Amino acid sequence: MVKVDESLTLRVANLARLELTPEEVQKFIPQLQQVLSYIEQLSEVNVSGVEPLTHPLTIETALRPDEVEVFAPDAQGHSKTLKDAPSVLNDGFKVPPII
Amino acid sequence: MPVFRTIRETHDAFDARKISPSELTKEYLDAIEKSDLNTFITVCKDRVMAQAQHADSIFLKHGKVPREQSPLFGIPLGIKDVLTLEGVRTTCASKILENYIPPYTATAVERLEKAGALSLGKLNMDEFAMGSSNENSAYGAVKHPTHYDRVPGGSSGASAAAVKAGLCVASLGTDTGGSVRLPASYCGLVGVKPTYGRISRYGLIAFASSLDQVGTLSNTVEDSALLLQTMSGHDPRDSTTAPAEKLNWAEQLRSLSKKDLNGLRIGVPKEYFGDGLQTEVASAVESTLKWCESKGAKRVEISLPHTRYSIATYYVVAVSEASSNLARFDGVRYGVRSKEAEEASDLATFYKKTRSLFGAEVKRRILLGTFALSSGYYEAYYLRACQVRRLIRKDFEDAFKKVDIIAAPVAPTTAFKRGEKVSDPLQMYLMDICTIPASLAGLPALSLPCGKDKEDLSIGLHLIGPHFGEGRLLETAHFIEKGRGHES
Repeated sequence: MVKVDESLTLRVANLARLELTPEEVQKFIPQLQQVLSYIEQLSEVNVSGVEPLTHPLTIETALRPDEVEVFAPDAQGHSKTLKDAPSVLNDGFKVPPII
Repeated sequence: MPVFRTIRETHDAFDARKISPSELTKEYLDAIEKSDLNTFITVCKDRVMAQAQHADSIFLKHGKVPREQSPLFGIPLGIKDVLTLEGVRTTCASKILENYIPPYTATAVERLEKAGALSLGKLNMDEFAMGSSNENSAYGAVKHPTHYDRVPGGSSGASAAAVKAGLCVASLGTDTGGSVRLPASYCGLVGVKPTYGRISRYGLIAFASSLDQVGTLSNTVEDSALLLQTMSGHDPRDSTTAPAEKLNWAEQLRSLSKKDLNGLRIGVPKEYFGDGLQTEVASAVESTLKWCESKGAKRVEISLPHTRYSIATYYVVAVSEASSNLARFDGVRYGVRSKEAEEASDLATFYKKTRSLFGAEVKRRILLGTFALSSGYYEAYYLRACQVRRLIRKDFEDAFKKVDIIAAPVAPTTAFKRGEKVSDPLQMYLMDICTIPASLAGLPALSLPCGKDKEDLSIGLHLIGPHFGEGRLLETAHFIEKGRGHES
């Protein structure tokens, strides 16, 4: 059985790009342990030869022509997509220098 | 408070000139303003009044409700805040989307508005639809509409509370593991989750893509039928919508002349009646089943042997998909970017500072999902859960060779008290035991009021049908509703 401790919690949090406070870490450790221990019961099930199911229907996913659909700009002719960006420069999303 | 409980009553009132669409909308807006249930995150006052005045002018021109062309003419609805509406803030009850104003409208909502519906506003919910009590909202918990110390259920808690409290005629919710059916059961409403693939999810902010479906909450089966058929049908913008035939379920219900349930085989799965089931819930479901038998239905005892693994399977599959879907909230393209992120010296810190805005339950599920998909654990958790999921679906396939529909409780208990399960996530997850299996199998399912407990809290009957079997499901629920009355 997997043992949830501080090091595992912080490692997973880093993978998920989540920053946890020390209080959150202490709160989550027993909760994650409890849920994962509950999930452990799946190991009782005989799944040999069972194909994993990732889509609940048996029908084929629909296809459509691969055509670009352009969002209409707003009344001022600006892209609506950029309107929600926290920070914009010209026609792009602006982010702090990170390299 | 507006007194019209259904679409038909509302249309009759328009036709009798008792009230106009804009007068009615104004009444709803006033009722929302006075309510202290905390159901609406955003009220679209100007937008909805403009829609209503437009409806007034159409009414004047036609002299009556254009029921054929606009089956939802002038009907004020509430929309769960997980579905986008162009130009209207859509938060998913999260701080991370506090300022998000989507540039497009969800197909489901667009189709309802095209049929004449009016959108009063955006309804509170559990953050990113993660929860069973509507306590996980960055905008505060939602109260149960009649028992203020209780939860309304989740995650579409406000969608149920608002309809029950008369703050809208009907509403949209979404159901990933029971998020429409559970609140419907707790609040005494009809709640329908259609077949996976029935309704477009374009504009539905994704939680778990192999499970999420748009659903309805209403006072009657007929209203849900009308809303569902209006939203259903393939959408080129969502490749997961099935190319299924569009049916007129509401008409099917209206013209229903059946006087009995002769020939209907109702499967009763023993696994849904196990330990932890409140006695009054079991007896309300039993007495409804007996009534159905007295009307000619045949009761068939069945077994769905993998039911006990449903919650474990769900809490691997759903959280894994969530951890992937919620990776998009990175503070680059939309939503809030925290001040600290602007000062970050590396990319990982940039993301982490913004993603701190997620609430506790969302963080917990992202952590669980990231763990289940991580190297070394993927096979034992995610892959195995997907295999068990197939066995759960197979249980249903075998059952539907012998029965037409399956009947069970929606939840093991009636609405619990606020704060009671907040610190114990596993206890909260266990409330979904009856609703999760149908979600994993992609089946249509609904909650229908079938009684009350000694504290006057509602109990829901759960009906589950085969893939794309909504017609039979709605017809049966409608028959029971008409025959037994709502709160029998």
